[in-house]
Amino acid sequence: MLLMDMIGFQKEEAMKHKNISEQTPSATPIVKAQTYITGLDQILEGGLPRGRTTVVNGGPGSGKTMLGTEFLYRGALAGEPGIFIGFEEPVDQVRSNAGTLGWNLSALEREKRLYLVGANLKSDTLISGEFSLKGLLAGVAGVSRKIGAKRVVIDALEVVLRLYDSKRQVRNEMHILNDWLHSEGLTAILTVRPPVPGSVPSFHDFFESMADCVLFMDARVDNQLSRRRIRIIKYRGSGFASNEYPYVITAGGFHIAPVSTVGLRHKPLGERISTGLARLDDFLGGGYRKAACILIAGLPGTGKTLLASTFTRGACTRGEKVLYISYEESQDAIIGNMGNAGVFLKQFVESGLLLYHNIMPEALGAEEHLIRVFNLIETHHPQHLVVDAISACRRMGGPQAAFDFLVRLLNKCKELGITVLLVNQISGASSYVEISDNDISSIIDTVIFMQYVEGAGEVNRIFSVLKSRGSGHSNQKQEYIITDEGIDILEPYTGEGDVLTGSARRLQEAKDTTEAQRLAIAVKTKEIELEQLKLRQREILERRHYQSEMRRASPDNPDGKDQP
Amino acid sequence: MSKNSSKRGAVSKGHDLYRFRLFIAGDEVNSIRAKTNLFHLAQTYLSDRHEIIVVDVMEDYQAALDFNIMAVPTLLVENPFERVIVGSLSDEKAVLDTLGLIFESDPQ
Repeated sequence: MLLMDMIGFQKEEAMKHKNISEQTPSATPIVKAQTYITGLDQILEGGLPRGRTTVVNGGPGSGKTMLGTEFLYRGALAGEPGIFIGFEEPVDQVRSNAGTLGWNLSALEREKRLYLVGANLKSDTLISGEFSLKGLLAGVAGVSRKIGAKRVVIDALEVVLRLYDSKRQVRNEMHILNDWLHSEGLTAILTVRPPVPGSVPSFHDFFESMADCVLFMDARVDNQLSRRRIRIIKYRGSGFASNEYPYVITAGGFHIAPVSTVGLRHKPLGERISTGLARLDDFLGGGYRKAACILIAGLPGTGKTLLASTFTRGACTRGEKVLYISYEESQDAIIGNMGNAGVFLKQFVESGLLLYHNIMPEALGAEEHLIRVFNLIETHHPQHLVVDAISACRRMGGPQAAFDFLVRLLNKCKELGITVLLVNQISGASSYVEISDNDISSIIDTVIFMQYVEGAGEVNRIFSVLKSRGSGHSNQKQEYIITDEGIDILEPYTGEGDVLTGSARRLQEAKDTTEAQRLAIAVKTKEIELEQLKLRQREILERRHYQSEMRRASPDNPDGKDQP
Repeated sequence: MSKNSSKRGAVSKGHDLYRFRLFIAGDEVNSIRAKTNLFHLAQTYLSDRHEIIVVDVMEDYQAALDFNIMAVPTLLVENPFERVIVGSLSDEKAVLDTLGLIFESDPQ
């Protein structure tokens, strides 16, 4: 099964790249040893080079010892016994550190699947004259034969190499070690600290030249939050993913988040899905698009969470799963507030369709936040995801951390075809730049902007659709109110004489035609009325004329009255 | 494993017994040097109060593991106090200092 995977992987690999083994047919293709560490095999395109040496370069606190330990632990569980040689950390400490992650190393040791060699020097050790690692290697070789080891981790090798006086001695030792590793056929990890500037002798050149694979682990602290990254610097005879990848050490061990190269595996926008509001669906030309990224931006109190929750309710009613990430409120607070506005969500939480993830942004670094969300996506399998609010992501460690977090999250969702609603609280200005801040506007498909307008002694809420990829939409501002039964969208708002574009203009043109016809009829009616008035006028004039004619006839006979 | 006790002239002060365990790797050059240096030092300064156990890790690797020996040669001082000295023991003065066999008044 594993072998099948490996072969499949290499075929895929060979098709994707022109790798070295393909170009030079004489070279034997690289066989890989799976690390079984989450995400690592993915970026290594299968695993570490089997029977070869990998150097893991990392500063203090980067977790390189833990990486080595996990490599051995998972290997031992998968039937490949291993040996740990620790030059720095006492082996008891390695055991107890592993224990905190739930790995029982002692049990594996008893079963002869793992052997820990403590090779740390006491601090008061005197170095006098030349020495070599041969003794240790003899010991390890003996153990290796006894337990049938396939893997070895040599931790903090630089600690012992620093004891040598000359570069020549270091070179000798490295050759001895290298020869030994080759002859034993072990898949090896050597962990070393990065070189200290100006340190003599520099042995890192040797490490990197003798290793077939070099990994670099970097732990930095930015804005009081840790950022951890792993990068593959070299991999002889194999393709590899060359980005920096965030990683964390969780209760289950290492977790590396492989981020795909930009957008190649993104799913296209899917079918229409209802926003949860029929009238909003109309304005968007039928609703949101599946797998789209929708930004709901607005001032505090404009009902952004309510709009997102309305969508959530609609999705859950259709039986679709939603993951709702809230960085601002607790689950109970959201459910309570939404219930007050007529959007009831508790039943969906109970039925398992809706999962809330409520966490303070400050609680963790951006990487750990990301990996937790990835874990939830993997276990919950949501069709839709809400992030409420992305403005809070900056509190994970600054704008850059927020950007990294969001881009990686959105990439993942685009790959999986998950619809994402991003809620963004803005501070006042309504410029488009601020609405889609964090520089993520290129990934966003639809922007709904919610704001207040003042007029005639009252403050009203209006929204507008500023962008909607892949659909016609109305740019018109719409007034809405928040009632006990949710959001209610009112008649089109035209109070500010906005320029109309797109479908709204078509609508307006149709309206204009009707109006012209109505006016034409009105004109005709007026014309008829005028005609009638003219007739009446003429009638009156004629009657007056007739009467005066009659009167003119009578002066010749003023006494005519008396005549009969 | 071989044992060697020496019974030659005493130069040092004190009465403590020194027990050494020297780890070597076959006939590797530094191991031979260490063995020679240790025997010379013991006979010169600890004539009748030392005990030396030599362990060849090429023959008994388990001993190297049991004693956490990462390099050869390594000298473990087990008595009168515990100390580790790595290397061929070529710097006699430093070794004597570590063993507590040099005193302020000593001419050296």
